[in-house]
Amino acid sequence: MNILVFIKQVADTEARISLKSDKRSLEIENKYNMNFFDEFAVEEALKVKSKIKDSQITVCTYGAKKAVEALRTAIAMGADKAFLLDNTGLDNDDPLITSKILANFTKNGGFDLIFCGRQAIDDENANIGTMVAEFLDIPHVSAILKFDIIDEKKVVVESEIEGGKATLEVELPALFTTQKGINEPRVPLITGVMKAMKASINVIDPVTLGLSKDIIDTTASKISVLTYETPAGRPAVKIVDGETTGEKVKSLINILKEDAKVL
Amino acid sequence: MDFKLTEEQEFFKKTVVDTIDRIVVPKSQEIDEKDEFPWETWKEFTSLGYLGLRYPEEIGGMNADKVMCMTFYEEIARGSVGLAQGVNMNILMGTYFIHRFGSDSIKERCLYPAMRGEKISTMCFTEDQSGSDLGATRTTAVRDGDGWRINGTKMWITNGPICDFCTVLATTDPSKGLKGLNFFLVEKGTPGFSNGQIIHKLGCRGTVTGELVFDNVWVPYENFLGAELGKGVFYVGDILGEVRLMTGAMALGIASGAYAEALEFSKKRIAFGQHIGNYQLIREKLAEMDMLMNAARLMVYYGAWLLENGMDSRIVAAEAKMFATEVCLKVVDELTRIYGANAFAYEYTPQRYFRDARFLLYGGGTHEVLKDFIGRTITGKL
Repeated sequence: MNILVFIKQVADTEARISLKSDKRSLEIENKYNMNFFDEFAVEEALKVKSKIKDSQITVCTYGAKKAVEALRTAIAMGADKAFLLDNTGLDNDDPLITSKILANFTKNGGFDLIFCGRQAIDDENANIGTMVAEFLDIPHVSAILKFDIIDEKKVVVESEIEGGKATLEVELPALFTTQKGINEPRVPLITGVMKAMKASINVIDPVTLGLSKDIIDTTASKISVLTYETPAGRPAVKIVDGETTGEKVKSLINILKEDAKVL
Repeated sequence: MDFKLTEEQEFFKKTVVDTIDRIVVPKSQEIDEKDEFPWETWKEFTSLGYLGLRYPEEIGGMNADKVMCMTFYEEIARGSVGLAQGVNMNILMGTYFIHRFGSDSIKERCLYPAMRGEKISTMCFTEDQSGSDLGATRTTAVRDGDGWRINGTKMWITNGPICDFCTVLATTDPSKGLKGLNFFLVEKGTPGFSNGQIIHKLGCRGTVTGELVFDNVWVPYENFLGAELGKGVFYVGDILGEVRLMTGAMALGIASGAYAEALEFSKKRIAFGQHIGNYQLIREKLAEMDMLMNAARLMVYYGAWLLENGMDSRIVAAEAKMFATEVCLKVVDELTRIYGANAFAYEYTPQRYFRDARFLLYGGGTHEVLKDFIGRTITGKL
């Protein structure tokens, strides 16, 4: 079985992120990881590979050169091949363009099965998987929680829907986005780490995928960021004064009336 | 000068950090509180293959360079020193002589299972009257038929009470002092080889440390680990630089764990209406901690670079060990001050860092002995 996994390198949840002075771009500390939901996608692909003999897993990302690190992590986990679709000079935030690029990479690859995370934890768009499937004209199921191979042409999946779960039978090739709970992503073995350190990562210029530059570069984006804003900071905790419990209650009532004006 | 890690080293570091965060950090407080060997965490962690870190790929190792080794030693200590002591013993001291001098059958029996975490190893130097002063070693090994007869008691042996095999330092000729010292392999189950007292420690809890007793233990000739008799002390010299740098790296690990805790706390804790990180006196502490750790890190990794490139690292390794462990003490002390009274409570982590940091003062040589060594080496060059 020929399996493809889309991954994305995102800022670590503990990375310091601040707004640049123009408020339209971000200053991100140099701490990046594979997207949380994509780890489930890689793990699910590995589980399929362990069941279906001679399966091969390809991982692919559209991103900056640094994203090679996320691809290496996938190889350390057990993926076989990795492709970086280098976005140097093409950087934009439009998921439609990213999806076109990923779909063009995929269309001649003969993939039976495509996995990706249900959303990236940086922009939270949750668009890529479904849009790629539409461009490829193949079925897709979002936020899957269970994946069973029936044979090399058919799978049964359970997906999360509003207020419950749905069980679906899907013909391959198809695309599935993975939800937390589907599996427990493995910790790479040292042998995997060594393989990943030595692996040669294929770097592709997206322009060579049959898409002209004017439809994938920054000017083609239908989305432009006007401003970013940080969440309002939490106000400092106020300790209510008073020697006794009664005094503290009185003081609290006074604050609720005078300061908070909720009474 | 190029201080940049290679892409491979960066990737290795990131993977180790993630692995330690996932497997070790969540267990660190429990390991300390129980003060028992953490078998479950040991199995989970060692199954990943890290125990073969410094050995060749042909025998299942990783052939990691010394910078990668330091990264590993630092990170596992950040996770849990209780686990790190046992793990690092299997990676370095406990298996070094077996790998270097062991016969094929010894390697099959001891080295390869130890690299997989299936067997636990240790190295026995210290006795009641000797540690840094190796010349005072009283354990003896005497030729007896086709083998050796070993007698003596070793103390402060990391992994000792749970080891499957050990490399024992013994004198084959007490009249020769340091030149009479040699190493021997003794395996669990050998008649006369037994555990003595377990030492209950202030820190590094979870590491099992204790006495090993060799009472008329007979081992075959092939258990002598060396190319020729009387060279044991030179072999010690070959490994000592790495052991000292490893101790420095572990100190950095504890310090960086403590620093992260201090930074986090200073962002959360509110006093007099604002986060304590806003106060200059707290910022001064964080700046001091960061500065000292950066200096210590430069020393430890410079030593690793010297070692990797086959250059003389003896003085730098001793200095890095001393400096990094002293920095570690300072950093954990500042953590306890930033944390306030809660640092004194067993429910919180600062007290663990505070206790663990003390232990690294002694391993790899006391600072008094190291300063004397550095001074002698320097003046010897005049």
